[in-house]
Amino acid sequence: MASRKSAAVFLREHGGPEVLKLEDTEIGDPGPGEIRLKQTAIGINFSEVHTRKRPSGTHSNPLPLILGREAAGVVEAIGQDVEGFEIGERVAYGLRRQQGAYTECRLIPAHELVAIPDRISDETAAAIMVKGMTACYLARRTFEVGPGHSVLVQAAAGGVGTILCQWAHHLGATVLGTVSSEAKADHARAHGCDHPIIYTKEDFATRARELTNGEGVDVIYDPIGEPTWEGSFKSLKQRGLMVNYGWAGGRVTELEPLDLMNMGSLTFTKTALYNYANTRENMLGLAHELFDVVASGAIKVEIGQSFSLKNAALAHEALETGKTMGSTILIP
Amino acid sequence: MTKAIRIHETGGPEVLKWEDVELGDPGDGEVRIKHSASGLNFIDCYQRSGLYPIELPITLGTEGAGVIEALGPGVEGLEIGQRVAYAGGQMGSYSEARNISAGVLVPLPDSIEDQTAAAMMLKGMTSHMLLFKCYVVKSGDTILVHAAAGGVGSIMCQWANALGATVIGTVGSDEKAEKAKSNGCHHPINYSTEDFAERVSEITDGKGVPVVYESIGKNTYEKSMDCLENFGTLVNFGNASGPIPAIEPLELMRRGSLALSRPTLFNYTADQEMRLKAAGDLFDVVGSGKVKIEIGQTFPLSETAAAHTALESRQTMGSTILLP
Repeated sequence: MASRKSAAVFLREHGGPEVLKLEDTEIGDPGPGEIRLKQTAIGINFSEVHTRKRPSGTHSNPLPLILGREAAGVVEAIGQDVEGFEIGERVAYGLRRQQGAYTECRLIPAHELVAIPDRISDETAAAIMVKGMTACYLARRTFEVGPGHSVLVQAAAGGVGTILCQWAHHLGATVLGTVSSEAKADHARAHGCDHPIIYTKEDFATRARELTNGEGVDVIYDPIGEPTWEGSFKSLKQRGLMVNYGWAGGRVTELEPLDLMNMGSLTFTKTALYNYANTRENMLGLAHELFDVVASGAIKVEIGQSFSLKNAALAHEALETGKTMGSTILIP
Repeated sequence: MTKAIRIHETGGPEVLKWEDVELGDPGDGEVRIKHSASGLNFIDCYQRSGLYPIELPITLGTEGAGVIEALGPGVEGLEIGQRVAYAGGQMGSYSEARNISAGVLVPLPDSIEDQTAAAMMLKGMTSHMLLFKCYVVKSGDTILVHAAAGGVGSIMCQWANALGATVIGTVGSDEKAEKAKSNGCHHPINYSTEDFAERVSEITDGKGVPVVYESIGKNTYEKSMDCLENFGTLVNFGNASGPIPAIEPLELMRRGSLALSRPTLFNYTADQEMRLKAAGDLFDVVGSGKVKIEIGQTFPLSETAAAHTALESRQTMGSTILLP
C-alpha cells in the first residue's frame, strides 16, 4: 500500500459558499481499524451549510475542515484488524457528528461502513445515508407511523422530507406536507405527500386542521425551528407529538412545559441521528431497513441535482437559496 | 340549599370557605348527585393557589362519588338512585350535592364502594393515562415513579408491578419507603437521605430508565432527566415543588433525544370511549385485588382546609377523601 493524492474541498474560513475551495491533498495508508475509500458519490446535507457559515455550537470542528457526512465508494485499501470488508467492495456511510466527505478519497473507520446491496446504485446510497437513516428513525423509532395516522412533514420537498413523506405514506398514514412553491408541491405530491400545503400562500396550521376534520395531526416532523414553531404546535391533535430534528430556520431556546399541557397534553422531542445510530448495531438496523424499503421500490430516491465535486460552492448556493428539490450530490 | 367549600380568591388553604349555596334543578343533559365522598387532589391545590388559573368564585374539587338524585331533560342511560363517580372535567365536588353533565359520569359496579371510588377515580384514571397512554409500560421495563407513597404513586406502583415492570420509587421518609414497598415498589429511594439519580444508575447498571413519572417538578426534574436512557420520556404530570421552568429544547437532544410529555387527565377522558375504557380497566384491576386503594386519611368536607395543609406539607399517605 502507498499513500495517494486526492482532490478535496476545504473549508479554511467560515463564510459564504465561495469559501469552499477544491485543493489537492495527500491521503495516507489506512491505520488499524481503518479503510481507504475511493468515493464515487457524495451527499450534501443542510447542516453543512450551517457549519460552513459559522462554528457549530454543540460540537464545533476546528478549521481547516472537509465538510460532508455521507458518501458511497469502493474499498481501496484495508488497515489492520479490519474484518468483514474486501478490496473492491461497494460501501457507503452516513456520519453523525464527524465530517470529511467532500473528497475524492478518504480514510474512515471500518465500523462506519455499510455494504451497498446490488440493487442500489452508488449515487442513490450517497444521497440517502444520512437523510434516509434520519427518515427511518423518525417514522419507525421516534413515532411508529401506521395506518390511520395523520402526519405533517415540514419541508416536504427537501432531502429528508422527500424520503419521509414516501415512507409515512408506505406505512399507511395520511401525509400532509409544507412546501414553499407550486413546483415543490408537485414534487411532494409525486413523493407520497397526500396534501401539500404551500405555506407562503396559506396558514399551514389552519389548513392542517381543515384537512383533519379540525382534529389536527398525530405527529409533526419539523426541521425548521423558529419560523414554524408555533404553527407546528397548533397543527397537533390532542395528545400529539411534536418532533424537532433541526434548526434550518433558527433555533428556539425555550419550551414551557405548562404550554404543552395547555395546548392539549402534547409531547415534544428533539432528536438527532447520533442518538439513534449510537452503536454499530443500531446504525446497521437503520441502514438495512432503509436499503430494504428503497430496494422494494416503495421509496423512490430522486437525485434532484448533481454537481461536480469542484463545484461544491454552487451546490451550497442552490441549497441555501431553496432552489433544490430532492437530494443533491457531488461527483468526484 | 346545600353546603360547599368555595373560594372567592386564590391563596393558601385559608381561602377555602364552608358556605351555603343554592342548588337548582339539573339543566339540559345534567344530573343532580348527592355526594357520599369526594376526593382530594394536588390539582385542587394548584387551582386554589392560582397556579392553574380558574374563574372565581367557584366550588373546587374534581373527583367525587355518589347517588343520582334528579335527572335533567335529555339525559339517557342513567337513572335516579344509580351509583356513579367522576373525575376531571367540571369542578364542584367539594359539595354535599351538585349538578353535573351526565357526559362525564361513570356508573359504579357493585364491587367498588363509594368511598373507594372517590379515593381512586382521578388518581386511578391518571395512573391509567400514565401507564398506558403517555408511555406504554411493558413487562420487563424498569420505571421511576416520584412520590411513590402518594395518592397516584401508590396506585401506579401496584399497577406497574402487576404489569411486570420493575418499579423504582422516590419517597420523603423511611416510613413512606416501607409504604411504597408494600405497594409493590421494588426499589424505594428516600430522596432526603440518598441521591435518587445515583441510585437509579446503580439499580439499572448505568443504563437508566425509559420513563420517569415526574409529579414533583421544579426540585427534581433535572435529576429526573439524568435518570433517563436514550429516547426516554419525562412525563411531567404535577408540580408539587413548583412547575418545571422553561427548558431548552437542545438540552433534550444532548441528553439522548429525550421526550417531554405534559399530560392532563382532561385530554384523556373528555372522549366517552376513552373515559369508559380507562374506568373499566381501573375497576377491573381494583376488583381483581391487584391494586388496593388505601384511604390514608379522611376529613369532614367542612375541614377541607386542613386536608389541603396536610397534602401540601407532604403529611398524607395514600388517598385522602372528604366526607360530607
